[in-house]
Amino acid sequence: MSTVDAHPDQLTATTDWGGGAFPYKVGHRKLGMWLFIISDAMTFSALLIGYSYMRASSAQWPTPFKFSPSILFSTTMTLCLLASSFTMVMAVAASARRDFKKVRLWIMGTMLGGLAFLALHIYEWLHLIEEGLRPFGIAPKTVFAKEWAERWPQAPPLFGATFFAITGLHMFHVLTGVLYLSVIAMRVKRLKHEDVEISGLYWHFVDLVWMFVFPLIYIMSVDMGH
Amino acid sequence: MSPLGKNLLKKEDAIINVICLVFAVGILALAAMNISWGAGLSGLLTTDTLFFIVVSVLLASVLLISPLLWLHSQGIIKNPFAAGNDAELAVDTTPVHFEGSTKLFLTVLGALLGLTIIEVILAYFQVSILIMLTLLLSLSIIKAALIVAYFMHLRFERLSLVITLVPALVICICLLFVFFPDSFRSSNMRYKFTPAAPEAETTAPAEESH
Repeated sequence: MSTVDAHPDQLTATTDWGGGAFPYKVGHRKLGMWLFIISDAMTFSALLIGYSYMRASSAQWPTPFKFSPSILFSTTMTLCLLASSFTMVMAVAASARRDFKKVRLWIMGTMLGGLAFLALHIYEWLHLIEEGLRPFGIAPKTVFAKEWAERWPQAPPLFGATFFAITGLHMFHVLTGVLYLSVIAMRVKRLKHEDVEISGLYWHFVDLVWMFVFPLIYIMSVDMGH
Repeated sequence: MSPLGKNLLKKEDAIINVICLVFAVGILALAAMNISWGAGLSGLLTTDTLFFIVVSVLLASVLLISPLLWLHSQGIIKNPFAAGNDAELAVDTTPVHFEGSTKLFLTVLGALLGLTIIEVILAYFQVSILIMLTLLLSLSIIKAALIVAYFMHLRFERLSLVITLVPALVICICLLFVFFPDSFRSSNMRYKFTPAAPEAETTAPAEESH
């Protein structure tokens, strides 16, 4: 085995930053995943801040989500993601004990949570598209067309753009996360513990992003009038 | 390793390679279809066609990584950039030190659920939008901190890692917020739309064009 694969604890160096040491006490894969997560967090924060900027600079902004069923529906989606985050943490704990059977079981649970989230989310998208929401405006002769023209005549046609872009990018992250976890579950026997932990980092990050998307996109768009 | 375990690993390899190969071929076929249609409709060199081709080739090559690595491990193709020999395949069963217990994780999950329910209750009672935004953001930051600290284990990592990662993100977000006063300004400069008074429409555009 090459020295690159050595565990951080096996290296001895007089100083942390003098070379020949792991100053972060994590392997290079894990550090790479952390750096990716930071850059991805910057992407999402740029998107969310862009959305807030447009909303603040607009004369009006549509708030079309009724508490029941829209907000309750997206709360269910949030609960799915939170539960799957917990099962992922249990999978990582089982992986530290090298209990491969348990790891696979917990990861399956995590994937199930992710798939449930995806299914609910796609159902919601289809529903909104059916009601007339489009990336740049509202389709004519739909449920939304009349209501939005009456209630938010000055709103820019950007609600759909921000909604579909931000939740779509997040949905793509969940989808890749499920694929990633399926590979980890298949190959868990030949992977190191750290590799399972890294997949956990990614999954928790997807959960974390939703913790900002859910309040800013859904709860801030709750229908105040009705 | 037992022969049974080896067979299992072989089967896993076969399944994942077949799945990857099917998807890669499918995506390449989509790209080819797009080329043949695009050439007939509007020419090959439109932004849409090029974008679609680049994305599908990228996706297909990512999906081909696993089959190609498998071929390499079988000795059928050779890595032109190889420096040394591959590490042996072995199942590592030594337990790893791991901090955190089921009780701790359940507590964190309970806290996250509780904070989520508070957010939903805020939506139900419909407080004013500024108070709601402040409360929602502070609750979300608490939730994010809980997830990062306990689920992502940053609390149990070395301080040097935290100091490298977190300030970069915080500074980046602060720099993005620099633009915000501009958005309020453009909101205030906007022509005030008053549908009830039709005579305002004739005078207002002249005031605005400066």
